[in-house]
Amino acid sequence: MAEQIVIPGWKRWLEGIGDQVEFFFKFFRNIFTGGFEWSEFVRQCYEIGYRSMMLVGITSFIMGVVLILQLRPTLVSFGAASMLPKTLAVSFIREIGPVIIAIICAGKIASSIGAELGSMKVTEQLDAMEVSGANPLQYLVVTRILATTIMVPILSVIGDLIGLFGGFLALNLRDDMSYSLYFTKVVASIDFSDFLPAFIKTIFFGFAIGFVGCYKGFHSNKGTESVGIAANSAVVTASLWIFVIDAIAVQITSLLFYK
Amino acid sequence: MQLPFRSPVYCFINKMKMNQVKENTAQKDEAKSKKEVVIAIKGLKKSFGEKDVLKDINLELKRSENIVVLGRSGTGKSVTIQCIVGLLKQDGGSLKVFGDEVAEMSDKALKQLRIKIGFLFQSGALYDSMTVRENLEFPLTRVLKLKEQQEIDKRVEEALNSVGLLESIDKLPSDLSGGMRKRAGLARTIIVNPEIILYDEPTTGLDPITSREISDLILSIQKKYKTSSIIITHDMECARIAADRILIMDDGEFIAEGSFEGLHKSNNKTVEAFFKDIL
Repeated sequence: MAEQIVIPGWKRWLEGIGDQVEFFFKFFRNIFTGGFEWSEFVRQCYEIGYRSMMLVGITSFIMGVVLILQLRPTLVSFGAASMLPKTLAVSFIREIGPVIIAIICAGKIASSIGAELGSMKVTEQLDAMEVSGANPLQYLVVTRILATTIMVPILSVIGDLIGLFGGFLALNLRDDMSYSLYFTKVVASIDFSDFLPAFIKTIFFGFAIGFVGCYKGFHSNKGTESVGIAANSAVVTASLWIFVIDAIAVQITSLLFYK
Repeated sequence: MQLPFRSPVYCFINKMKMNQVKENTAQKDEAKSKKEVVIAIKGLKKSFGEKDVLKDINLELKRSENIVVLGRSGTGKSVTIQCIVGLLKQDGGSLKVFGDEVAEMSDKALKQLRIKIGFLFQSGALYDSMTVRENLEFPLTRVLKLKEQQEIDKRVEEALNSVGLLESIDKLPSDLSGGMRKRAGLARTIIVNPEIILYDEPTTGLDPITSREISDLILSIQKKYKTSSIIITHDMECARIAADRILIMDDGEFIAEGSFEGLHKSNNKTVEAFFKDIL
């Protein structure tokens, strides 16, 4: 009987990296070759963007409220209660908003893309598309990755605004701060260098979410169990990528804007 | 002496001769096209890791011929047809479709080849987010790049009519029974008018009546569209109805070949095992 060859873990890991790089180039090649699937792209923007809005809105609102309630006692003890709008605005727009919203999107979008493409693989729909002469990468992958790349930054901006509004409500209820005073302080404390780097990194977060979801779904094994594994693995990997991108983005932003 | 005009008798005889020549040429062309080999496989090999799934596959599929491949599960039947459409890459041997080596084809050539080959998956493989109509429109708009909605509608309705599923045109795959899903899958396969159709266990999981309907449908499609087919099945009734020729596969190679009646009388134990319950 033939001896079974055991492939070392590091070799499998390297193979995985190679597959991801290949998938990345295939994605880029397919953006520019053949026709672009506009109708599917718009449908995905709706599915990814509009259908995630409620979740992002509620979470951002609660985060804004909670942050004010958590920060307030500390700042009051230092006699800096007037700094609350600025503290919330800077922390929310620079860091907390984009990262938390991206993590929520990873949980909702990457898992759903991973599960959808994984189940299409299990039920031979991807093979059917390929043998019919159609291009599954163009129809399924390009549209989803571009939709997440565009919709996650938009969701992030909307989430930021709702989070700041949540903060206002909490502050208004506790300290009776007026709407105009709160938002004047917020707008005065936010600089272009706070918003732009944060917005740019959400584009990368969106790309990572779409890319990981598509890759995991497209490369899942053939078995019902694989669908769950693809969805789970998509969330974990996308979340990890979000933190890695965030760490890199913070380094670059510090060098460029906050010397 | 040559007359300045031709006699009516001469003209009549000449016309008869011309008609005879035309008829003979048409018959010869038909006979030639029937003998034309559309798929030629020689010594095909495919392994997964250490396991040799296909060891030495030799097969010739002629135009308008239906070949049924019988064999136990895991003997390499599905792998063979997946190699034909380039879903799997062969490890060795020669696999020619319409005279071109599949392994040497560019992506573009492979895409063009796939338009000529229909593939019916075991599950039907309908796109479950689309209705039956959208499933059938997909290859027309994405592969054949048809733009005119009237023509698309006409072809969709014609294909669904051929499989008797026109009333389910706006249903989602989840609303269809197993047999209906296979028929919808078959409609999606024939809508691009393929020259070859590969069937991967078309009757598996269906009741005997629906299985018979699908088998009859395979035969009627062959006659209507003049397709050549390879049908992978375990269903002996399907083999009896649809096969012009049967190949028995065992352990990565074909061990027997013949007509249904011929193989029925075979003394080979593996072949006997397939036909033992057939009266």
